[in-house]
Amino acid sequence: MITFRGVHKYFGTFHVLKDIHLQIESGEVVVVVGPSGSGKSTMLRCINRLETITEGTLTVNGYDLTAKSTDINLVRRDIGMVFQHFNLYPHMKVIDNITLAPIHALGVPAKEAKETAMLYLEKVGIPEKADRYPSELSGGQQQRVAIARGLALKPKIMLFDEPTSALDPEMIGEVLDVMKTLAREGMTMVVVTHEMGFAKEVADRVAFMDEGRIVEQAEPRQFFEQPAAERAQLFLSRLLRH
Amino acid sequence: MIDWTILTDNWELYLEGIRNTVLASLLALVGSFVLGIVIAVFRIAPIRILNVIGAAYVEFFRNIPLLLVVYLFFLGLPVLGLVFNGFISGTLGLMIYTSSYIAEAIRAGIQAVPIGQKEAARASGLTYIQAMRHVVLPQALKIVIPPICNQFLNLVKNSSILGVVAGMDLMYFGDIVNADTYDTVSSYAFVSLFYLVLTIPLSLASRSLERRLARSG
Repeated sequence: MITFRGVHKYFGTFHVLKDIHLQIESGEVVVVVGPSGSGKSTMLRCINRLETITEGTLTVNGYDLTAKSTDINLVRRDIGMVFQHFNLYPHMKVIDNITLAPIHALGVPAKEAKETAMLYLEKVGIPEKADRYPSELSGGQQQRVAIARGLALKPKIMLFDEPTSALDPEMIGEVLDVMKTLAREGMTMVVVTHEMGFAKEVADRVAFMDEGRIVEQAEPRQFFEQPAAERAQLFLSRLLRH
Repeated sequence: MIDWTILTDNWELYLEGIRNTVLASLLALVGSFVLGIVIAVFRIAPIRILNVIGAAYVEFFRNIPLLLVVYLFFLGLPVLGLVFNGFISGTLGLMIYTSSYIAEAIRAGIQAVPIGQKEAARASGLTYIQAMRHVVLPQALKIVIPPICNQFLNLVKNSSILGVVAGMDLMYFGDIVNADTYDTVSSYAFVSLFYLVLTIPLSLASRSLERRLARSG
């Protein structure tokens, strides 16, 4: 479903992604972990071409993202994305945040888009906030709206870019719960996070990145108990000490 | 010191002037706003040639006196066979001149909208134009309303440039009343009064608009 083959990316002269090979199948939950600045978010953002790759090939849902002929808007319709800072549209009510892309990118009639949006708001547990503005919601609620907004596209893939990093500790749980439900329902998910508990519980696979490379890929149990790479051992030992 | 008979004897001239000042201001206001948005989008669109055109436009019209912009239409274009009367030349000049300031205000406003907003919109499959139209511009406009209101106020006052090219505005008729009566102080005192009648409500309206926008977050 998502295939990185020999992908490199540079920001100017800075080599952010180095020879990335990663294959993600439909229904898989892949959690990407690693120290700050290791290229996790950049790799994630390549999947819907918020970042372009410099070298190699990247195919998503059968589309070659490096091909000039690929209509990126078609690719993006099948990918929901959740950002660290939510990025809800502050000038729109919650319901309009969710229906904007279905109406204008997918061409869904407004009434139907609204009904679908309500379903997803119920799914994330805050249907009563439909007519509120984002600024009236807590961080956890805003991030749940952002998840509903991503789901409203009825995407094949959901991308999560550190979805809990900007949240107060007591709100992290409610967001992770929604994500766990999604994972159990078979959504294909790529999650960049520092929540090791989430990785242990729901990941099919953990990818550990360091200095632009995927240093190790393993099932969570194996990764957390017996990491093969020395760099991963060091990373995990530092986490455990805190 | 102020001779009120100047007003009562010449009220028809003043009224005609006010009418044309309001008309020129409204036309230039709408025109400069639309043009300003277009030029601002030129300046930030991901297309190099448009960036250059937008920047050249802004730098040219913002950095020459308004009078010369108006002369461009009133005296320059007739050389090419395009003749406009004073009202049209003045209004066009005013519109073009103001649009360069509005474009700059809007560009700054667009760039003040966090990049994540555009990313969220584009990531959901919206096109560049849809993302601008539904997500970025509405937020940018909120940011730029104070500076744009300021520009509109300036525009109304700057419309007095029409007087220089016989544009039949308030200033033009003020000049005529002055020439007829030789009472310079009274003639122009009433002109000032009428400008205030136009600009003070605009100023108050913009302040209340700002307050309302501030409340809506």
